[in-house]
Amino acid sequence: MNYVFPNELHVTWTVMIVLYPYITGLVAGAFIVSSLYHVFGRDELKPISRFSLASAFVFLLFATMPLLMHLGHAERAFNIMLTPHFTSAMAGFGYIYSSYLILVALEIWFVMRSDLIKRTHDKGFLPLVCRAIVLFNYRDTPETRLANHRIAKILAGLGIPMACMLHGYVGFLFGSIKANPWWATPLMFVIFIFSAIVSGISVLIFHYFIVSKINRWKINGPCVRSMASYLWAFMIVAVALEGMELLSIVYEQTEATDVLELLISTKLFWSYVVFQFFICSIVPFFMLGAAVLFRLSDRVAYALIWLSSCMLLAQVLLMRWNVVVGGQLVSKSMRGFTSYMPGVWEKEGLITAGVIFTMPFLILYVFHRLVSLFPDVEKLPKRSNGV
Amino acid sequence: MTKPTDHDDGNVRPDYRHAYPVLVILLLLVVTGLTIRHLLIPKTFGEYGFYRAAAMDDEKAILPRHVGRAVCATCHDDIAATHAKDVHASVECESCHGVGGKHTKDNDAPMALANTKEDCLICHRRLDARPGSFPQIDWQQHYTFVGVTDPTIACVKCHSGHEPLYLDHDLRTARLHPLIQQCSSCHLGRTDETLKKPDTHPKIFQCDYCHAELAKSFAKGSHTKVSCTACHLFIKETTFSGRIVRNTNPQFCLLCHRKAPFKAGTDKAAPPTIEWPAHIKDVSNDPIDPQRPCVNCHQDQIHSLYSKDAHHAM
Amino acid sequence: MPCNNAISRRTMIQRIAIGASGTLLLTLFPKLTFGKDDAPDGGKLPAKKRPLYAYAVDTSRCIGCCSCMRACRAENDVPKERYRTWVERYRVKADGEVKVDVAANDNFVFEETPPEDIVKAFFVPKMCNHCEKSVCSQVCPVGASYESPEGVVLVDTKRCIGCGYCIQACPYGTRFINPETHVASKCTWCYHRITRGELPACVLSCPKGARMFGDLHDPQSHLSVFMKQRRYRVLKPEMGTRPKCYYVDLDLEVI
Repeated sequence: MNYVFPNELHVTWTVMIVLYPYITGLVAGAFIVSSLYHVFGRDELKPISRFSLASAFVFLLFATMPLLMHLGHAERAFNIMLTPHFTSAMAGFGYIYSSYLILVALEIWFVMRSDLIKRTHDKGFLPLVCRAIVLFNYRDTPETRLANHRIAKILAGLGIPMACMLHGYVGFLFGSIKANPWWATPLMFVIFIFSAIVSGISVLIFHYFIVSKINRWKINGPCVRSMASYLWAFMIVAVALEGMELLSIVYEQTEATDVLELLISTKLFWSYVVFQFFICSIVPFFMLGAAVLFRLSDRVAYALIWLSSCMLLAQVLLMRWNVVVGGQLVSKSMRGFTSYMPGVWEKEGLITAGVIFTMPFLILYVFHRLVSLFPDVEKLPKRSNGV
Repeated sequence: MTKPTDHDDGNVRPDYRHAYPVLVILLLLVVTGLTIRHLLIPKTFGEYGFYRAAAMDDEKAILPRHVGRAVCATCHDDIAATHAKDVHASVECESCHGVGGKHTKDNDAPMALANTKEDCLICHRRLDARPGSFPQIDWQQHYTFVGVTDPTIACVKCHSGHEPLYLDHDLRTARLHPLIQQCSSCHLGRTDETLKKPDTHPKIFQCDYCHAELAKSFAKGSHTKVSCTACHLFIKETTFSGRIVRNTNPQFCLLCHRKAPFKAGTDKAAPPTIEWPAHIKDVSNDPIDPQRPCVNCHQDQIHSLYSKDAHHAM
Repeated sequence: MPCNNAISRRTMIQRIAIGASGTLLLTLFPKLTFGKDDAPDGGKLPAKKRPLYAYAVDTSRCIGCCSCMRACRAENDVPKERYRTWVERYRVKADGEVKVDVAANDNFVFEETPPEDIVKAFFVPKMCNHCEKSVCSQVCPVGASYESPEGVVLVDTKRCIGCGYCIQACPYGTRFINPETHVASKCTWCYHRITRGELPACVLSCPKGARMFGDLHDPQSHLSVFMKQRRYRVLKPEMGTRPKCYYVDLDLEVI
């Protein structure tokens, strides 16, 4: 029979809390790609470096939105910076988030300063905005550029651990909740970080192909193939870790194993077993593996890579859903499950989630209009077919 | 190692001057943030621990709503007195009649009556999970047993909510009755032979294990379907003992035996009913105190008064 | 790239100076440092002189009347479909299956069930255990969930942001978000009553004495005496939360 504690009939962490780690994951992944160029010298990623940095920034801008929608008292949200209770993993959020936001903003400022100054020479409203952004200091010399480069490198280097903290603390937050058997594992911190990187690289690939197609730009092959390699590698680690977590639950046969096995085989069968593991993990593994290991033509490789990125974007979203919602479906009485279906129009509903997710893409477009995110891109000749 | 692509001249020295305004802005942000923080943290925060100490005062400021039996008794002293002697003594007035906070301030504020059948069945409905010693009924079975033929009748038609059993001894000072006897109580010769064998030795004591003679005499009377504890009310207090009241109040006997329009009356299976207090005149020309126990005349219909296994005078 | 020492050293010194002055500024604001950790020892009275409240439940006495649930709801304005306290009914069948339910209807009344092969059945009242090492207070990001000096775990309703972390962290499922006030809420052991010398509403209304409340620092209190006489345990001791709600006659099936 199904028994849940009476207060568990109402699920507290809704689709907003599924969206929040998803968005910060995209931030972390995009930032890692940008840092691969700025810190680790992976020059083939230079074409995507500005785009990835800007993507990290715009997603970061919207990362707090789902949380604000979820809070019972969003007007008291600043309490988390006034009196952060540091025994709580969540308390670090205010300072980590704001300092990381400032860091990414600063890095963009330094990386793009030369291009912003060039833009100020144009006429129009956006160039005026550029003037304010550069603080009305238009000195752009080789010396300043060297300084920018050095500072950007330091910031990018600092940004990596901060990105890990910003996204990792969420994983730690879940993994340290001993009361919930689906969440409580020390692996959760690492799983979240690696799947975040997977989602970040995927969204870059996904978005890059789309904007290239729309603007009829030439796809930079080495860049894409490099990203695909990184994506494949990180994806293997992420899925292996997720499998490890499942394996330890089944192997250890603790008190919670019975109810968790029931969770996976009934409530989460389609979202976890079928979609997250089989369709969206195994299939991209082979597709990306083929694209990386074999010498495929550009057309075939790009198709495989783009499709894999779509599926991996879905995989990570499903993983967030299965963790956040799945964990709350299990009753702490170990005797049953509750249920959750997000509303459509409510404050924490699907429409809100959709809006919050699409806004960063729109802002990214505005950003591109402000200063080009692809300064060295080639346009395709008129008669060719695009990708 | 990243090669600088924007500057090819190896002798270029970096110029950081454009970065200083940024640094100043950052510093301003930090200072403003800290100042705002200092101003906005509540004064009592951190007094006792990582919380706002004044929050405890907020909690204390909430006014209690339940008032407790003692407060009800200040006005309703007569009801309180009867209530305290009977089996519902441990039931709070407010459990049945609702919270008393408003009513104590404005005496005209109504309180719930709680006199429907469902109100009683909340506690007294027979459920598997209720302890066996707790009085619980299947109301249809109970009505059949006592001869009530009208199913819409509420329990309070017979059982007063305040003194459901009309106990004639105050339950608080009633005789103590042990649940587990000392070995010597049985093993000094008065025990039935079957009880001495290890595999038939009783583990849970029922009345007739010790009071076997009384039980035999009871079986010859007309109350065989009534349990001992109906009239010899036993309230368990601890694991080892409880209190016992022999209820001789005529009002108690009348629960079953008073004639009423909702009772079958002449049905053979139902208890025989009488008019009260008309019954006294019917049986005697002398004046009889209406409080006199029915058992004084009807002893033989129940069980013999004295027996070898009675430990105390009845 | 040759390193130009003159400029970089100057810049470095400037930066250190700025960093140091910034850190100095921080020390002018004492509240930046972490607050004293939650502990009764943070209170003004020495620990032994303050009451230390605790609760005991004798499950063998509970008759499942749910007067406690109705009293709690009346006393504390508990919203619908949310429970500060509740009573669970366990029915163990002959084949070993255990059925558990709560009287979740409007008036909190346990109904009859179809006849089954039940070998053992009992009631278990539950509520916030006011743990000594409460996870809820640990995970609250803003210091809105705390343990009072008397050992009662409370929520500062003016500070709570409604994030729901405490609800996830509680191993006993006793917390909920109040749908009207949008803050975390739970059993407070009727703090507003016990600080006036009254009993919590649930203890007051229990007709069988299945619920007990008292001061562990007072050796004469009913609770202290009771706990010296009986053997008790707590729910989910493996969680390490050290609950202060002690259960007597608790069956293995109760989690």
